Amino acid sequence: MDSFQAVLIAQTIVNGILLGTMYGMAAIGLSLIFGTMRIVFIAQGSVLVFFAYLCFWLFKLAGIDPYLSIIIIIPGAMVLGAVLYYGLFKEAAALQDRISSLLIAVGLMFILENFMTVVWTPNPRSVVTSYGFASFTVLGIHLTLNRLLGLGIAILATIGVFLFLKKTVIGTAVRATSEDVEASTLMGINPNRVNAVAFAIGMALAAISGINVASTYSFDPVYGFDVAIKALFALTLGGIGTIYGALAGGIIIGLVEMLGAYFVGGGWTQAILFAFFLVALTFRPQGFFGRTGQKA
Amino acid sequence: MAKSPSFIGSLKPAGPESLTNLVIIVLALVFFGTFLFYTDIDSIIVFYLFYCFIFIIIGQGWNIVAGYTGQISLGSHAFFGIGAYTTAIIWLRDITHTWYFFDPLVMFLSGLAAAVFAVIIGIPILSRLRGDYFSFATLAAAQVFTVLVLRGGKLTEGAMGLRIPGTLFEDLGIYYWTGLLLAILATAAVFFVTRSRLGLALRAISEDEMSAASHGISVLRYKLIAFAIGAFIIGVGGNLYAYYIFSISPPAVLNLNWLFYPILVCILGGNGTIGGPVIGGFVVGAIVVFSETLIGRVHPMVSGVLIILVMKFLPTGLIGLKAKVFQRH
Repeated sequence: MDSFQAVLIAQTIVNGILLGTMYGMAAIGLSLIFGTMRIVFIAQGSVLVFFAYLCFWLFKLAGIDPYLSIIIIIPGAMVLGAVLYYGLFKEAAALQDRISSLLIAVGLMFILENFMTVVWTPNPRSVVTSYGFASFTVLGIHLTLNRLLGLGIAILATIGVFLFLKKTVIGTAVRATSEDVEASTLMGINPNRVNAVAFAIGMALAAISGINVASTYSFDPVYGFDVAIKALFALTLGGIGTIYGALAGGIIIGLVEMLGAYFVGGGWTQAILFAFFLVALTFRPQGFFGRTGQKA
Repeated sequence: MAKSPSFIGSLKPAGPESLTNLVIIVLALVFFGTFLFYTDIDSIIVFYLFYCFIFIIIGQGWNIVAGYTGQISLGSHAFFGIGAYTTAIIWLRDITHTWYFFDPLVMFLSGLAAAVFAVIIGIPILSRLRGDYFSFATLAAAQVFTVLVLRGGKLTEGAMGLRIPGTLFEDLGIYYWTGLLLAILATAAVFFVTRSRLGLALRAISEDEMSAASHGISVLRYKLIAFAIGAFIIGVGGNLYAYYIFSISPPAVLNLNWLFYPILVCILGGNGTIGGPVIGGFVVGAIVVFSETLIGRVHPMVSGVLIILVMKFLPTGLIGLKAKVFQRH
């Protein structure tokens, strides 16, 4: 192998990791929501794209820098998460009714996708800032500023969520609820509040990913489902219930996608990804980082 | 999983309620059996009913797996697509030397192809995974199949898809009758499965897998049989749809609507019941057909709102309404 090819492969790996952190972020949100409520929130990806569009609008109409718009979008996202929980999922979560909560999420996804198609048209959009595509080369590997910023924000957000779960009272309550709903309720934890918090953080993470997507890639209304599926896979690969597992699962998915595209060709990426997921799941159903013996 | 009242009710001996059910069934059969004799065949109602029949068929196929084994399959669109593609491939390559258009043999083979695919993916998936993992694995397998079709070269013609000769179309009559017959057969199949040893085993598995296995039920075998029967029924639905659209391509038969429609049909009507998917089929048919003609392309938004409303206020489905009414009096 000559050095040119080695650099290309290294480049692909770096791109895969950067893409994978985006899936990982969405997967952490899914993991929190799944952990406390046992809800597969398949609309996560569509919400993410929705925030990407909001970021696009703030940039286009008000001229607000995408990274600055984090300050506006994240509180909104947290409120939206709490509203979604109290408005839609409260009853289903109380009944532990998986099918109806899955279907409510599907309904939400349908609404969001079509709403976005009507408002913003199905054409792909992207946010192009003056500095985002400023690039530099390290060891022959090409890096752009927006991707690095995205990676940095993702790492910061993950550390933030981790500290929140470990150090705060409500974070401890969230962890307790994901371990055992009944026991935590008996200890006086209000499940609704915990679930609403999990939803709010999940939406905030979706918002951060959405802003990263908006400033790095181009996106359209149906892109969200793709992201949601990959985030689900990341979550399952990493093992449900661990923050770093979800992030690592996302990075694995990103790597498989990019390397698959490089070695086999773009059209086959999906098949490789899903086949990889199937095989991984068949041989290690609890995920790579999951606690053994844990039931989904 | 929500336990619907009639799920338990079906174990009870025949009483006045089952007599009313019988009367309803006979009346419905007479109504739909004679419907074409006093309706204009080209009216939108016939078109609507044809769609309803397709929804009932695929709904029952999903129902057998989800309603009776409690495993949520997210691979219906692959089975549907296999049914449609098998029909087109057999026809275009002139494999069976029969007349192809509404040919029972082709219908059977389309279902069989889907069932074979279900067994192939079912053995590894069902033996290792359950619950949400099973759902994601079926989705992954279905997406792999979609990519295989897109990259299928001469056999599937990729994204362009296959075209079967559309000149045979005369009127909706044969579509109506075949759809009605197949919908009845699918419903009857679910009915007889639930009344058989298989149904009993499935119910035991969905209640408590461990206990069922310790009582000598081969869990994998019965789950696999249910999965294959469900796939067969959905595959036949795909065959029927192929005769209707003539142009079989991934966006038409492998899109995710065919994953969500059967779920919607079952959940709206009442999952794990025999009558639920029938009611659900008519409701979903109405949403899809009429909102498509009246509103245009926004209709998934309407169905989204509807799913949420039904799940929030009527989690046992429309058939649960009946039980609610009975309880009040």
